[in-house]
Amino acid sequence: MLRYIGLVLIFNAVFLFISFLLALFLSEPTDISLLYSTLIALIFGLLPIIYVQQTSYISILEGITIVVFGWITTCVVGALPYILWGGEFSVINAWFESVSGFTTTGSTILTDIEVLPKSLIFWRSSTHWIGGIGIILFTLLILPKSNTSKLTLLNTEMSKLAKADFKYRAKEILRILLYVYLGLTLLETVFLMIAGMSLFDAINHSFATIATGGFSTKNISIAYFNSVPIEIILMVFMILSGLHFGLIFNTILGKSNNIFKSSVTRAFLIFLFVGVTLVSLKLYFNGTYPWWTSVRYAAFQVISVGTTTGFATADSVGWPGFAQLILIYFTIQCAMAGSTSGGLKFDRVWIFFKAIVKHVKMIQHPRAVFLLKVGGKAIDEDIEKDTMVFIIFYLFIIFITTLLLSFLNVDMMTAFSSSVTTIGNVGPGFGQVGSMGNFSGLPDLGKFILTINMLLGRLEIFGIISLFFIKSWR
Amino acid sequence: MGMKIKFKILSGFILIIMMLVIAGIVSIYEFSRLSKSVTALIDDNYKTIEASKTMLEALEREDSGILLLLSGHWKKGREILDSADSLFLAAFNIAKNNITETNEDKYIEQIDQSYLRFKERWEPPIVGTAKENSIDWYFTDLHNYFLAAKNDVRALMILNQESMYQESTKLKEKARRAIMPGIVAIIASLVFLVMFNFFISRYYVKPIVDIIQSLKRHTSQTQSFEAGIVTKDEFKELEKEIQSLIYRFKKTY
Repeated sequence: MLRYIGLVLIFNAVFLFISFLLALFLSEPTDISLLYSTLIALIFGLLPIIYVQQTSYISILEGITIVVFGWITTCVVGALPYILWGGEFSVINAWFESVSGFTTTGSTILTDIEVLPKSLIFWRSSTHWIGGIGIILFTLLILPKSNTSKLTLLNTEMSKLAKADFKYRAKEILRILLYVYLGLTLLETVFLMIAGMSLFDAINHSFATIATGGFSTKNISIAYFNSVPIEIILMVFMILSGLHFGLIFNTILGKSNNIFKSSVTRAFLIFLFVGVTLVSLKLYFNGTYPWWTSVRYAAFQVISVGTTTGFATADSVGWPGFAQLILIYFTIQCAMAGSTSGGLKFDRVWIFFKAIVKHVKMIQHPRAVFLLKVGGKAIDEDIEKDTMVFIIFYLFIIFITTLLLSFLNVDMMTAFSSSVTTIGNVGPGFGQVGSMGNFSGLPDLGKFILTINMLLGRLEIFGIISLFFIKSWR
Repeated sequence: MGMKIKFKILSGFILIIMMLVIAGIVSIYEFSRLSKSVTALIDDNYKTIEASKTMLEALEREDSGILLLLSGHWKKGREILDSADSLFLAAFNIAKNNITETNEDKYIEQIDQSYLRFKERWEPPIVGTAKENSIDWYFTDLHNYFLAAKNDVRALMILNQESMYQESTKLKEKARRAIMPGIVAIIASLVFLVMFNFFISRYYVKPIVDIIQSLKRHTSQTQSFEAGIVTKDEFKELEKEIQSLIYRFKKTY
């Protein structure tokens, strides 16, 4: 088990080393802190690899432990360059930024991003990219292991709903994820450069988009560029990153099970369209912006939040309550299973709505037998039950976190929206933590609570919670 | 067979030594950076601030010398003016050769010009001319040039003082940055030692205990010898050798 965590750390060391090379190339003072972090990650990664024997079998509980501890150690190592650099990064702030990066949340404690050396900004974006696809999946790709161990980790890392559309073996799933991930990143970088972004900004924003993260290189996020072409490119890639990667891959290969035939994808896109329309209309009729600006800002913000990315082109804190509530709904809903997004996932919301319809029909016709169908296929009752429990537990965690933050004297709106946005791995919220704000003003304990939320959202809650109920290792 | 025990233990020690050595090197490097920054701070700003103070003092002395000339003390006044002028020019040259801040060269140019204008007023003879005892000339003409030169020197001093303050704030950050690798190294070493201890007991002590217990079970209860060693090192080899020995022993007797 520890051997896998060692590999995760070595994988981190590779990206830290790339950041170090960038610091060296740009003669930035972050060189030493990045090199030192690389070496620590490498040393800690090598120790278990030297001592722990390779195994061809991993139990489910071991799989959970690997994933959970893999994420935690990754976040600890990811915080090292920030801690060593200092500035706004206290220990808790560094931990927050690291967890927010790896879990692709995109919430930040930084009040001034632009003063950071470019190499550190690159590392910050890299954490998104690494976390986006799930570092465990990445590491498994380079492991010459049997499929049994791969599947166990995959089961823990990826939601059950995501796997429903993957009709391949573990090795193929991993290959698909990597191809789609790399392809989208490369494509977006090129498009952003064509639209006028510098290479550095394009790479960093691509990392953040494909991972549905949201870290920007600019203090005012995408609003800095004030460019419609850039916003359109980002919106397209945010939507693509919020879709099921297996379906994207099938669409490219021209297979029948593709985006256009997926009813869940269709529903997800309709939901986004309705959200954009409602927010646009409210902003226009409320006199907040002229009609074109209303559509432009509403489309970007709704898609950004709805895909759990978290970029911003406008300060939605000043928007009418109705528009804010729509955004909060999308913060809770999140994007599709099988994408790089975390949180509740649209698929569960869709099953939830279908279950309500089924229940109403059952009340009307008590003797009839109804099947819950998604995309023409009957959904197993276990999945239906799991979904309901998950949603209730998800909302319960939001309530508890809001309660804890309120206890720490955080105002109601900030407490609620930061709880929702962190567990959904979205990024911005409302109140102090709005789309143009940051999390620096929250109490340290509050920041720590929110990092737990981020990890819970990333690991689909039960993954991390089941760790505390391990009774046997085999 | 996998990695040898000797190699594994040695690797563990090498890794911890590496960590401590790296932490040491990083700390030394950061402290030397800090030391260079302190030296640079003194060289860059402190020298100019001191030179500015000297220029201000020289200007004050020149002002006194002019007052002596106005009151008719030609010799004493000229002596003071000449020595103050030398003092000013020496300090000015220090400042001129120590331009480290943005736009500092413009400040130096400004001082050069304003001092030249001031000097042009007092350099020609005063005693025995209409300027002697002329307090009006002093206040309406000369004193303004004196104040202008003084203000320009003061501006240069403020520029360097502000920069020095900013640099000292950065120094605090650099000092913190120099200490952090040490703190991280201490924490990392402690964690590493805990892990190392775990690995030693899990992969070296446990197999020995397992072999002993299995041997005891075998001799007392005549159970088959199976220590359950999973590692592919000398312990596995030992387990196999013992099994082979038992087999040969049974075969013989």
